[in-house]
Amino acid sequence: MTRVGLPRALLFHQYGDAWKSFIETLGLEPVVSSTTTGEILTSGTAHTDNESCLPVKVFTGHLLKLKEAADAILVPRVVTQNRGMKSCPKYLGLPDIARAIDHDLPPIFAPVMDLADRRHKWVNDWYEMALRFGASQSAARAAVKAMLASLKSCMAPLAGAATTDAGFNVGVAGHVYNLQDPRVSMGLLDRIRVMGASPLVVEKVPRRLIRRELKTLERKIRWDSESDIVGAVLHWSRSRSVAGVIYLSSFACGPGSMIGALIEDQFGREKSVPLMSITLDEHSGEGGLVTRIEAFLDMLRYASANDPSSAAGGAR
Amino acid sequence: MKIAVPRMGNLSLIIKDMVQRFDLDYLETPPFTEQTMEIGAALAPEFACLPLKAVLGTFVGALAMGADTLVTGGGHGPCRFGYYGEIQRRILEREGHDFRMVVLEPPSVSLRAFHDSIRSVIPREQVGFGTLARELYLTLSKVLLLDMLDKRALQLRGLEVVAGSVDEALADAQEIVSRAFTRKELSAARKEGDARFREVEIEWDRPHLKVGLVGEIFVVLETFFNFDIEHWLGRRNVVVERSVTISDTCDPFHRNPVFGYPEHMVARMAKPYLSHEVGGDGLLTVGSSVIFARRGFDAVVHFLPFTCMPEVIAKGVLGRVSQELEMPVLSLSIDEQTGKAGVETRLEALLDLAWSNKAKSLHARAELQAVT
Repeated sequence: MTRVGLPRALLFHQYGDAWKSFIETLGLEPVVSSTTTGEILTSGTAHTDNESCLPVKVFTGHLLKLKEAADAILVPRVVTQNRGMKSCPKYLGLPDIARAIDHDLPPIFAPVMDLADRRHKWVNDWYEMALRFGASQSAARAAVKAMLASLKSCMAPLAGAATTDAGFNVGVAGHVYNLQDPRVSMGLLDRIRVMGASPLVVEKVPRRLIRRELKTLERKIRWDSESDIVGAVLHWSRSRSVAGVIYLSSFACGPGSMIGALIEDQFGREKSVPLMSITLDEHSGEGGLVTRIEAFLDMLRYASANDPSSAAGGAR
Repeated sequence: MKIAVPRMGNLSLIIKDMVQRFDLDYLETPPFTEQTMEIGAALAPEFACLPLKAVLGTFVGALAMGADTLVTGGGHGPCRFGYYGEIQRRILEREGHDFRMVVLEPPSVSLRAFHDSIRSVIPREQVGFGTLARELYLTLSKVLLLDMLDKRALQLRGLEVVAGSVDEALADAQEIVSRAFTRKELSAARKEGDARFREVEIEWDRPHLKVGLVGEIFVVLETFFNFDIEHWLGRRNVVVERSVTISDTCDPFHRNPVFGYPEHMVARMAKPYLSHEVGGDGLLTVGSSVIFARRGFDAVVHFLPFTCMPEVIAKGVLGRVSQELEMPVLSLSIDEQTGKAGVETRLEALLDLAWSNKAKSLHARAELQAVT
């Protein structure tokens, strides 16, 4: 049975289930690389161009891990996720970067995923790929159908109420692939929970609210996930539903550097809630991160104890 | 309203032309220096790429000199450049400057967006649509002429007999073209410029290298950041061809009139290595490198600002291009701390490699001829 590899990195954290169900429906065996380890990170860093951003380095590490374990590797080219938006250039060129990394890699399949475009324009890519895997026409159609069905649940906002009673809320804004990866983010979300605060994530903010906040910006942000992050952060701060916001970015993240500056400036103008920016790279030490979060949370606690009106998110 | 525009290669000549056409109040932005770089780097976000920091530094200078309207380019692509104007506006406002920021959408995004954005500098009451369209068309023709002069100078500089004669001709021709405004004047200026170049004495059969210059437009065009590589190469008997120019970027129909290969063709050439648009000049970089390799160039020099997103992808792919097409490619990543000596050493090594490759292939050819 053909083993199709899926690197557990970047948009796998968002669309992985859909891709897996596509492969499974075809009757092939999906091979997902293990969760990120120090070894993966090191080999990724060693094989990537030194200017690449951290997520691409992580991706490379996972890709190389699959070299022996898979007969083919699936790296979809995600062109857009929302209407009128653009992906980060790294997603657009990802399959090409992957092919350039190592000559001995198994063949890399890169069907296009252009979620904002009309479906018939990009789904055909997947269909043709299924045929190349040797599937019959009906099996290929079934696989595409399964992928689309599972995609719907991937795209739906995460269920679960945003408010919690225990402790106070802290907004944690960052890319899914950083926050969902316990090695890269060094378990940031869990650490915050352990320290007695409840972290809110971008995916739980309804799209309607995100869009409303984005309309208040002078110039439209055209990157998919980054516009979501900005919209969510502005919603948290303007509705005072959090006591503070932690903005997590990764080293050399291009769009991240822009929206980081934007968020800092906007928070400075509105003087709403405290903000802390953290930049991750492959050398980040846990100690430094923990100390900074502790200090930040202590500051929020102190602020809400002294002035309940200004940091009301804690009390509510 | 005193307008200031960032510097970039021929852009200042073009702005001067528009200033005369539309009678704008214009202030020349100070040139890039180490000082403006320091100011820019101090104010800008850490991971912003070089053009933002560089332009920000000169904007501070321009505001100090009395400018009140800053005009910069925009764009809708995945490249960060489209969001620079907004970030720069926020940073400068935070620093307490009072000004207006105008973001011009390039005509290649859409002619309508371009028209809408240019109206905030040239109001409708002042210049009607017909005049605007005609004059802008003439400006674009002038840009094309200027870029063609540049292209010519790049080709000839390595072969000139008297050092500096090509530069003299270029300066004269630029002067001639700058004075032309109407259609007739422009076509006369074009002939005159050509004639001026013909006066330059050229040694056509001198042994030389052919090097392609690709990369992100700002660092490729601005001599302060590429350490004047065009002259540096010209002094070393190198015929240079550059894939990025202002007219190619502005061309609304994606024809790349100066480079000579329309965008769809560049994309086709790049396809085996990079099969999707990645924003900025990324695809052009890869496609033109392939074109240069197919045309038998001896080497390609790739300039990029540190952490530039599209060019980093191109850089990752260019290694494969270089290997498969057997042409050395040197990627030079430029930031505010890049030193001239380091860049020149690497360029010298590249030229040495290209010369030895050339000698080897010439030798092989001679042997082949001797056998047959």
